[in-house]
Amino acid sequence: MLDVKNLTKVYDDGTVALRDVSFQLEDGEFLIIIGLSGSGKSTLLRCINRLIDPTEGQIMWDGVDIAAAEPAQLREIRRQIGMIFQHFNLVKRSNVLTNVLAGRLGYVNPWTSLLHRFPAEDMEMAMQALEQVGITEQARKRADELSGGQQQRVGIARALMQEPRMILADEPVASLDPVLAHTILGYLEQLNQERDISILCSLHYLDLVQRYATRVVGLRDGRIVYRGSRADIRAMTDEEFKDIYGQEAVRVSVGRTEGKEA
Amino acid sequence: MATRTTQKVAEASLVPPPVAGIASLIFPGLGQVLARQLQRGFVLIGSTIMIIGLFVWRVNLLAARETGFMDTLGKAIGRRPLFVIPTLVGIVALWLWAAWDAYQQAQARRRGGIGVFALVVLLFFALGWQVSEINLYKFVTELSDAKDPLSRVVWPWKAAVTRDIETTSAGADILTPCDDQPPPSPPEETPGQPYVVADPTCGDLSVQEARDNELITVPGTLLTLVGRGFAPNTETQIWWVDPVSNQFRIRQEGEYVSLVTDDQGAFEIEINIPYMLIPPSAEGRVVHHVEARQVSEIGSLKPSEVLLRNIEKMIETIVLGMMATLFGIVFSIPVSFLAARNLMSGSPATMAVYYVTRTILNIIRSIEPMIWAILAVTVVGLGPFAGVIALFVHSIAALGKLYSEAIESIDPGPIEAIQATGATRLQTIMYAVVPQMIPPFVSFSIYRWDINVRMSTIIGLVGGGGIGFLLVQYIRLLDYRSAGIAVWFIAITVATLDYVSSEIRQRFV
Repeated sequence: MLDVKNLTKVYDDGTVALRDVSFQLEDGEFLIIIGLSGSGKSTLLRCINRLIDPTEGQIMWDGVDIAAAEPAQLREIRRQIGMIFQHFNLVKRSNVLTNVLAGRLGYVNPWTSLLHRFPAEDMEMAMQALEQVGITEQARKRADELSGGQQQRVGIARALMQEPRMILADEPVASLDPVLAHTILGYLEQLNQERDISILCSLHYLDLVQRYATRVVGLRDGRIVYRGSRADIRAMTDEEFKDIYGQEAVRVSVGRTEGKEA
Repeated sequence: MATRTTQKVAEASLVPPPVAGIASLIFPGLGQVLARQLQRGFVLIGSTIMIIGLFVWRVNLLAARETGFMDTLGKAIGRRPLFVIPTLVGIVALWLWAAWDAYQQAQARRRGGIGVFALVVLLFFALGWQVSEINLYKFVTELSDAKDPLSRVVWPWKAAVTRDIETTSAGADILTPCDDQPPPSPPEETPGQPYVVADPTCGDLSVQEARDNELITVPGTLLTLVGRGFAPNTETQIWWVDPVSNQFRIRQEGEYVSLVTDDQGAFEIEINIPYMLIPPSAEGRVVHHVEARQVSEIGSLKPSEVLLRNIEKMIETIVLGMMATLFGIVFSIPVSFLAARNLMSGSPATMAVYYVTRTILNIIRSIEPMIWAILAVTVVGLGPFAGVIALFVHSIAALGKLYSEAIESIDPGPIEAIQATGATRLQTIMYAVVPQMIPPFVSFSIYRWDINVRMSTIIGLVGGGGIGFLLVQYIRLLDYRSAGIAVWFIAITVATLDYVSSEIRQRFV
């Protein structure tokens, strides 16, 4: 269980990105964070695995405070938490398999891995991960030869290699076609349900939020302004949505059944 | 009707238009400044000062020995009327135009023409023409002087090959002066072997005497040389060998004596005993030797010494460039980390290191390799090592900057992704940083190698070894054919390298 307590982040330039944010993520939840760009979603996700150091507050993970973890302990925690990114963050010049194997770096011998050597089990595991996301035949291609949707699947495969108990997803579909959005979120939902991996995901589109979330947290200007259950979010009206997003927000429909791919 | 609204509604002029005009008549630009057209005014003031300064300088150079103002101007006009008069007219025109422009600018609705600036540019052009001593007439009329050396440089291959030569010679002894003992006897005639008979076999040397303040050459005894048994119809040279074995070709009336043997391989020629100084130490009888020589080429073509030396130096050049590049790469990689802003922005101390490194790199880079070579020569002497040092120093600075910029431009996304997997710092560098840096590093290194080999061809001009060293020697000896071979080698090498390096870079990136 993840328990975020009174998290505050102030950047060096004085920007306050998070103000006293507290929430819990029970195991097996699919928690979606909504909010405008700049509302602090990315900062929140990056504080959880300490890609960004929080200024104040605690992040309890199995009784350990991630915010105060020592480097070795932090790496141990990080490898249990997969992460996927809006811009995929693959190493473009390396091939797909290397990118996926990189997800294993927290487990393997740090010295032999520098020579790009991985145990046979890990190689097999990587092929299985690629199979799971359906891009086995692209394994030897360079990452930048793949389409956006395929690259994000490589990102998921990389996260899977960590055998994660939780996945942080930072706007995983924001740079993809709306149609692909369902494919990617579908994979996450499958992992959530079949492997009991908790998902903490930031999203923009209300349609997608309503379809996938088991719980929703709304952020505005670094504060939590909305907390809703699955039922709440299904019943959410545009008015409530605008409350979180501000008055200028317009609901954008993400086609799933309209057959927009035709 | 649409009114033009392009005039700026800026602050109004400080003075009425006529005052502005008069101010600019006192000095171009003053009126514009008073009309609150500061930029326009200061550019005009600055330009006028520079134009007058340059003009005074050039006029004084043209009439260096005159003192008075009018005398100087008059002399300068006399020497370069086409420069001095139009420039003078131009300066007066600038004065008037600036005044008129100031008057316009000071009016409520400004009209900004740029004509006055066109005149300024024109004046600068005229002065620049003088300062750089451009002389198209000289260039055109004396262009033909370049024909001879240039044709040798362009097509130097005659000097690239050679044949072995064989010299056939025969001669006779000549005694100077005649004495009471019998003169040297002619050599034995052997059939089929060349031999030369001189008649007489003793006589007097040519002498130079001063008469009526003029140097008069009194010709020496006339000798008749008869040769037999030489190769027929072949050019034959006449050489003189003095008792201490100095030898020189005989000239008559300034031209080398040259003759062609007849069908039987025989010749007959008359020469005067030449002028020469006999060292006072020469004692006893002074016996010279006069010789007829036939030089013939034998065997097949082979590369000349010049060609071989050029090849040798070309290899030295390429290796020199490579060594400098290798050392440069090795040393510039650590330096580039210190000069990368994104790596050094952590604390004020590292930022200080960043600024110091950058400054040093910029200073080193702004000094040309040629100058580094001159400095290196003073340390390690002439030769390729000086060139290596010069190019190495410059490469560190150039590569350090390029590499550090490559580091600065890497995508931080993969770094955070790898960090998020629980990787160590070293793993993160290997998996997220290195793959991103290899292409620019390889590309820049090859590019630098290309530049270094190119530079090493001319670093020799100042003694840094390589083919440039050879080239500058040939040019100073006016040996344009040999210089041409060096130029060709440089051109071929640079072009090849250019092609190869761009191919490699394309493959890699």
